[in-house]
Amino acid sequence: MTLPSYQRYRRPPPLYRLARAFRRAATIALVLVLVFLATAVYSAVEVVRSGPSAGNFSAAFAANDTVAVSGILNFQNPGFYPISGFSVHVRVLNESLVYLGEGSFGPVTLASGSSQAIQIAFYLPLGTSGPGASLLTQDQNLNVSVWGNATYAYLFPISIAVETNKSWGAPFANLAISVGTVTVSGTGAVAPVTIQFDNHAKFTESGTLDFSLLSSNDVSCGSDSLDVAVPPGGLFDQTTDVALSSGCSPAGGHLEAVYVGNGGTIPLPPEKIP
Amino acid sequence: MSAPSAPPPLGYRIPSLGYRILAGGLRLLPLLVLLVGLPDAALAFLQSHGIHLPLSILTVTVAGIAIAVLSTARYVFKPTVAYGPLSVATSAVTIAYLLTIFVTSTYVFNVPQHAIAIGIGVMGLIGLLLIAPALSLVAGLVTTIEDVRTPRERLPFDYPP
Repeated sequence: MTLPSYQRYRRPPPLYRLARAFRRAATIALVLVLVFLATAVYSAVEVVRSGPSAGNFSAAFAANDTVAVSGILNFQNPGFYPISGFSVHVRVLNESLVYLGEGSFGPVTLASGSSQAIQIAFYLPLGTSGPGASLLTQDQNLNVSVWGNATYAYLFPISIAVETNKSWGAPFANLAISVGTVTVSGTGAVAPVTIQFDNHAKFTESGTLDFSLLSSNDVSCGSDSLDVAVPPGGLFDQTTDVALSSGCSPAGGHLEAVYVGNGGTIPLPPEKIP
Repeated sequence: MSAPSAPPPLGYRIPSLGYRILAGGLRLLPLLVLLVGLPDAALAFLQSHGIHLPLSILTVTVAGIAIAVLSTARYVFKPTVAYGPLSVATSAVTIAYLLTIFVTSTYVFNVPQHAIAIGIGVMGLIGLLLIAPALSLVAGLVTTIEDVRTPRERLPFDYPP
């Protein structure tokens, strides 16, 4: 039996309509969330497939007795959603797990469909009294911790932490300074000073090595300078005669040397003179 | 001229209990695949690769079966006054399940054989996913009230002849 149209299309009661509205809203909300989730996952896969990379890392002497380690992080975001609050922190410990330095950048936002090359640089102290002094003369494995944070697609906080060991080549590895026997001639006293080291760093050392011979009571007996041009893996071995001040004996004192070059002024560990 | 008479009551045609059980059973299978099979397979896959999430396979299985069975019962008992309470129960279990995930919604897992730890927070996503069962719960409450106040009022619209 076919019902008349007024009966077939009579308006549902209010409570029924209210419940139906909530059910439809629930279905729409679920569908929207699932569509968002699907597009977010797809976009995340695209970001991973775009191959974020880190490269061009280099180390060089810098001002204030430091060595600057710098590099470039390349990121692409081909997805539909931005990566916001993106920041990276780097912390470096020496081989004995003593804190050397840290660096960070960000936060930045990588908009959807953008690519960005981010320069990162941090500085390790090389001062002769600090824990970084060993970086000058000792090859070692540095403990490098990198961690980053970001929020992906507005909703997903993401963090990543990487801990790794990086070999460090000392720019003045096996540093050896020796002062020979003082000889006296008609023009005065001279002391032969021999300085040797290997450049295990990945950069060429180009500059001068200024040094002074100090007596046991810290009076300068004489000073000189040597030109330095040592490529990575190269050996420096030079001897020079240093004229001594009249009546000043370096015996029992020490030799202080400063490397000036590559944009920095780096004091080397003092060497005792027997 | 005579006064207009009230429209006759609407009719409805409710499928038999046997049919509803059969249809509900058929509906149960994809629900179990979606709520239990796929999540368990994903968790097992991750565990086999050394990635352990705080959500256990047991929790996923129990919650998935509970939601699927309640949803099926809701379908079977739709013509009865149990529909509203079953809708509320289904939504409540779903919300409880999502809140369980919400509590441990920051996953940190270590990439095997690498000193890499990756953390992902899904708190915002769970918050969004909670909207749908919350709305369904309200719908179930409204239906329960409707069934108490005027039993069978909704049947002509749920099961039109």
